[in-house]
Amino acid sequence: MASNNLIIGLEIGTSKICVVVGESRPDGTVKILGVGQTPSRGIRKGEIVDFETAMKCVHEAVVDAEQKSDVMIRSVYVAVAGSHLQSFNNRGCVMLPEDRDEIDEQDVEDVRISAREVSIPAQNAFLHSLIHHYHVDGQDGVLNPVGMLGHKLEADFHIIHGVRTRIQNTIRCVKELPLDVEDVVFGGLASAQVVLTQHQKDLGALVIDVGGGTTDYVLYSEGAVRQSGCVAIGGDHITNDISMGLRIPMARAEKLKIDEGSCILGNCLPGEMISLKDDSGFAGKEIERETLNTIIHLRLRETFELLKRRLDEEPFIGYLGGGIFITGGCSLLSGIDHLAEEIFELPAHVAHAQTASGVTSAVENPQFSTAIGLIKYAQAVQTDRPRRGIRGIFGKIFSGIR
Amino acid sequence: MIQLSKNYSLPERAPEFIPIKIVSVGGAGLNALDRIVLDGLERADVVAINTDVQSLASSVAAHKVQLGRTMTRGLGAGGDPELGYQAAVESADEIREALADARMIFICAGLGGGTGSGAAPYIAQLARDIGALVVAFATLPFSFEGKRRNAQAREALARFNDVANAVICFENDQMGDFVPPQAGIHQAFAVADSTISQSVRSIVNLIQRPGLIHIGFDDLLAALRNRNGRCLFGFGESDSDNRAHEALTQALKNPLMDRGRMLEEAARVLVQVAGGPGMTLSEVEILMQELGRHVSEQTQILFGAAVDARLGDRLAVTIISSLAADHDLIPQQTQPALSAASEKLPVWEQPQEILPRIEIEPEPTPMEVSEPAEMTPFEEPAPIETVPPPPVEPILSKSAPERTRYGEPEPVVSTPHKTPAKEEKPAAEKSVQAKQEVLQFEAVTRGRFEKSEPTIVEGEDLDVPTYLRKKIKVK
Repeated sequence: MASNNLIIGLEIGTSKICVVVGESRPDGTVKILGVGQTPSRGIRKGEIVDFETAMKCVHEAVVDAEQKSDVMIRSVYVAVAGSHLQSFNNRGCVMLPEDRDEIDEQDVEDVRISAREVSIPAQNAFLHSLIHHYHVDGQDGVLNPVGMLGHKLEADFHIIHGVRTRIQNTIRCVKELPLDVEDVVFGGLASAQVVLTQHQKDLGALVIDVGGGTTDYVLYSEGAVRQSGCVAIGGDHITNDISMGLRIPMARAEKLKIDEGSCILGNCLPGEMISLKDDSGFAGKEIERETLNTIIHLRLRETFELLKRRLDEEPFIGYLGGGIFITGGCSLLSGIDHLAEEIFELPAHVAHAQTASGVTSAVENPQFSTAIGLIKYAQAVQTDRPRRGIRGIFGKIFSGIR
Repeated sequence: MIQLSKNYSLPERAPEFIPIKIVSVGGAGLNALDRIVLDGLERADVVAINTDVQSLASSVAAHKVQLGRTMTRGLGAGGDPELGYQAAVESADEIREALADARMIFICAGLGGGTGSGAAPYIAQLARDIGALVVAFATLPFSFEGKRRNAQAREALARFNDVANAVICFENDQMGDFVPPQAGIHQAFAVADSTISQSVRSIVNLIQRPGLIHIGFDDLLAALRNRNGRCLFGFGESDSDNRAHEALTQALKNPLMDRGRMLEEAARVLVQVAGGPGMTLSEVEILMQELGRHVSEQTQILFGAAVDARLGDRLAVTIISSLAADHDLIPQQTQPALSAASEKLPVWEQPQEILPRIEIEPEPTPMEVSEPAEMTPFEEPAPIETVPPPPVEPILSKSAPERTRYGEPEPVVSTPHKTPAKEEKPAAEKSVQAKQEVLQFEAVTRGRFEKSEPTIVEGEDLDVPTYLRKKIKVK
């Protein structure tokens, strides 16, 4: 098997660990060969809290994926999440030497490094530097300056960074298995690759990946990432709220959320009850549907409002032509798109991976957006076309550390 | 009324059925009747009465009577109760003929329109004249149908109350509350129709079904004794493993039941449990125990049980009760308290009576007012009662009872009368507030995130459930 174009995405999520084996085709499409997953343990809010247990779970998922796709997995792309991830926009600038006026690859690399010459906390490391566009001698909107003439090269970057050790924990967990880590990618960014088309990125779009432990968001405008971030609130919080509010066990609350939950208020009969069957260790109970929906609604509303406040700090949200795309496991909650529409005042859709072929049932679920997105991301990086947008050089940065 | 019912009380385990007729008057009544017939009705005849030939023709009822052949000429009464009444008078003989032989007559009418408001009370009168017992099922219009229509409906309802032995009143507005907000309007009307249908059918069954512990018409009248009252009605049926519980829950879910909350205030509650031969004593016990939680201790429960082979595995519960009209709720609810208070009443009035007469008196009252402000309101009234009354009492002990008899609740008088009641309520509210405080204490817990790194954004610990932080009470 031509292992060269095999790409494996590994998402160590709060609720599940998911391994997607994909095959990159020369025409730019991805074929999904198999999906392995296990419910995860030892993960909270997107980060490992129990190393041994998490490692076992990752191993199980990898084995599962190997069996299903009939492929030996050696190296993976890993998605990371966690509230420690932060981002900002910065402009880098380099002056070309007097004797040369043609911009080359090295200059582009230099300007990227210059953009990173800002103070981030000492323990933090850069995860991504995503180019918006270049400016050559004051000319705006240059997409690829290589080969152009100029003296002053500037570039706007969106930089995502996080706590070095916390990112390394995820890497170590995979390396212990042992598997190679090709690259580490911010989960929200990976999801966006699969949810959005290039056209939507150009129009401007907001991707919200509401996962189990975290909610990642990436805002695209004019084809480039303008804002991104990660809030450590997710489906787990909803489950926890339900469990505490209705006084039912966690497992019951999770099931109730998935089977009956909705975040639309006022759409059920007053006094409409949901009866929970009794079980060992749990006496049956009846709960009011409106109560359940209220709990879910309040949590999601708060989360979205928090995102909106963050995004409002910069003016991009007003220019989204593509609207809002919600993905991740929690996007399966009924009515979540309506709630987002109400809060952001923009059209919202629940989205999942579409641009892949193969095991389609696996693809058509927003739960796998991140893992499949990793493959799309990797494909974009590997083809090494000088496209703006995605460029991971995390491997380079971390090669010394590992 | 009760005496009458005694005359008609049914012989125990009547072998033959009582002739019952269900009469619908007007357009809304016809809709309800169709629903009743379509839902399946046994052991009762149906008669449709209307001025409008068109709607009469489309009715599924076997027996039809057209009102006012010459007066309205087959058209409706045009929302004019007077016309409806005249039409009914014109066709009185036909109506009598249609109602003949019935010992019990149920009249279904939608009040507010011409025929329903005008003719239905007259028909009820005719039915009484024949010597039948009359139970009226009346629907009041939605409030959006206009004040005029509502006034007509109220007037007709008052007439019904004078004539019929019992009136079960359905407020359409209330039905609207039990339809999802986004459901179509036809659903709201359908809910109203099916609620009427369900209650008519279950009352027919209640009376016709040979009972182990029989429920007679007297029991029914007793349960519905509150004039102008609000009818509480619930019917539930289940054949699951936990059928006793489920049937009761379903009965309490009925739009006319308000989830059993109102039952607590009812003085009498009629309950009939019917089931197939497989119905066990323990099931009935479970059911009655559960129901017991919804009623107060003073409530009189009129219990009936029936075994009906046709029910098979199903168990059916019918709950009927009535409340006094909304404003009379309080006295009924706090009867023991009121009897005690009634002695105090004149005492309360006395200082107030004096005020207008002797102008020097107002001085003490401001003091009285200021005192409660300083101290707890609970303790204050007592010393006031004891201190000022003695000198005044000899004079007023004669006049006070007279005044109360006149029943002139002066606005001034009513305020001190209300205060004891209000003082009770704050006590209740305080206890509720205390509960909320307990909730706030629990808010410190973060559930499964107890041991993980807190998510603190903008100074708030987002791991704590949102509804706790926003202090929105769920449940």
